[in-house]
Amino acid sequence: MNKTADICVIGGGISGVAIGYFLLKNGAKNVLLLERGHLAYGATGRCGAGIRQQWGTELNCVISKYSLDFFETAQDELQYNGDIEFHQTGYMLLISNERELEQMKKNVALQNSLGIDSQLLTCEDARQIVPILNTDNLLGTAFCQKDGHLNPFHMTQAFADAFKRLGGEIMTYTDVTGITAANGRVTGITTNKGFIAAETVVNAAVGWAQEIAGIAGLDLPLFSERHNIMVTEPVEPILGPMIMSFSLNLYCQQTPHGSFLMGRTDDAQPRDLRMTSYSGFPELIAQSVVNVMPALKNLRVLRQWAGLYNVSPDNAAIYSAASDPKGFYTAAGFSGHGFMTSPATGQSMAEMILGLPPTLPWQRMDVSRFDSGELLLEPSVV
Amino acid sequence: MLINTGIPTKEQVLSVFPPAERLEKGPVAVIECFQRIPCNPCQTACRRGAIKPFEDISDLPVIDGDKCNGCGLCVSMCPGLAIMVVDMSYSKDKALVKLPYEFAPLPKEGDTVTALDREGKPVCDAEVIKVLNTAAMDKTPVVSLAVDKEFIYGVRHFGSAGVPPAPYNEVSSQPDDISIICRCNDIDIKQLHDLIAQGFTSIDEIKRISRLGMGPCQGRNCVPLVLAELSCAMGKNVSEISPGTYRPVTRSVSLAAIAAYSESKETLNE
Repeated sequence: MNKTADICVIGGGISGVAIGYFLLKNGAKNVLLLERGHLAYGATGRCGAGIRQQWGTELNCVISKYSLDFFETAQDELQYNGDIEFHQTGYMLLISNERELEQMKKNVALQNSLGIDSQLLTCEDARQIVPILNTDNLLGTAFCQKDGHLNPFHMTQAFADAFKRLGGEIMTYTDVTGITAANGRVTGITTNKGFIAAETVVNAAVGWAQEIAGIAGLDLPLFSERHNIMVTEPVEPILGPMIMSFSLNLYCQQTPHGSFLMGRTDDAQPRDLRMTSYSGFPELIAQSVVNVMPALKNLRVLRQWAGLYNVSPDNAAIYSAASDPKGFYTAAGFSGHGFMTSPATGQSMAEMILGLPPTLPWQRMDVSRFDSGELLLEPSVV
Repeated sequence: MLINTGIPTKEQVLSVFPPAERLEKGPVAVIECFQRIPCNPCQTACRRGAIKPFEDISDLPVIDGDKCNGCGLCVSMCPGLAIMVVDMSYSKDKALVKLPYEFAPLPKEGDTVTALDREGKPVCDAEVIKVLNTAAMDKTPVVSLAVDKEFIYGVRHFGSAGVPPAPYNEVSSQPDDISIICRCNDIDIKQLHDLIAQGFTSIDEIKRISRLGMGPCQGRNCVPLVLAELSCAMGKNVSEISPGTYRPVTRSVSLAAIAAYSESKETLNE
């Protein structure tokens, strides 16, 4: 079965469906999206489901604020039949030492200057919001009420449904086996379901972005690393915000459903696209969480799973157009926060591909920054 | 396929049965454990060391027929109800089969019940000889049935006499709309049919969009039901449909217990 598309997006995670939606919204026609498994099979369906604006670089603040503003109206804009479960119960970032305090002061000042309503809280104020928080070893916290939780499966489905409503087509269980080019321009994609003629191809495979770029003859400075998450049984709501600590290496939130999600960065995790569970993880994350919120100690654990962070050298995303072959675009390197910035990814990639003026400063996110040294080093990641 | 249907093949069943000479000698446990999962209550329950020591907690149990006396301690300890005891020395014509049975109401001694095979199909009538349900058995009673000796490889369960249960693949005939499929997350059959009609046609997709299978049972109860529904809706055999990522919980553990794991390891090493 051979097909023709104006633009072909590879990857049915949040980034791919957002790019597809924003392309059509901005006037593109005949857009086809390919996914190797089912929608949200990869990193999106395995992520921590948090949305935050409290970043340490101007660029990340700007794109996350743009994305959060979009999520606030997404249910209506996308006319989704389900519930995307966007609950703005806040993010609380714990401050454990003087260095962290200095960084948070800088971050909050930066965020406030960009219209993000974050603030520093004393331990006492933090306990007003999270009574179960153990503040014994804390100097305070940073807090932003507008941050929160969003359901990754429903958000992906909401973009996908809107994409299809605007005329987009999605092919699942479709494996990209090759990308063809002639005279330095992309001409199409070979798949297990036949050839697709397309002069524009967008690599939104994220976890598998190097693989797809490699097929097109490009070498991107990315690697995919396994990260683990654990979830408990659901209980009545007792925790509003996402609790996060960079120095204690943890994040933990109670979902609207009542379960507690928790994750950390483990040392020496495989970078070979493995998504099996890591046996050393439960013990370490349980210790951190019980230490920070002792009241959770009797919660029973249901399962753990793993997904991929696609990591760039400066922990910031790459939005890039290849010079050879022309017509090949990449959105990758989200370093664990591609879900929460997906509207910015979608709008930016649409503008880049369609030649529209930039809403966000996406030119600075080009892969060439690693040669020129104009890095976007993000200090605030778990 | 066992992982899709929960039903082992005849070859698999025979591979775990003791040889005929051993069966003739008297009661012995038969362990139908085919999936490597981290689980060892059977091994630790046996006081005679008749289940060979595990090198890895995921090892499959192997019975030492010389040491096993068919006491049945392991039967109610197995969370997967995978163990029974067979006693060919019970009488001249009859064998005794001791089965774990977690259904209400429990039968009474002397009742006649319909013995069922591993697919739920009737095999023969059977007399209930004994019903054991002590506190130590932790709500997994053991029921002893007398059956004709020729049926020992077939009988694995039973139902009330005269009421054969619906065969596995026909469960979905015409249930009413409020039949609950996922008890952990309150998803009824109408919601499931709607999801299938919308194009969510694999266990993993249905799980992600609806939370089905994400609750405390981790799919143990609902996944077979959904497979049967998908089978009906798509005209495929259950064995052709992937059960998705399968993570059964033996017993859920608290955060504090997991957090204390390394401390307990250190204590053990001392």
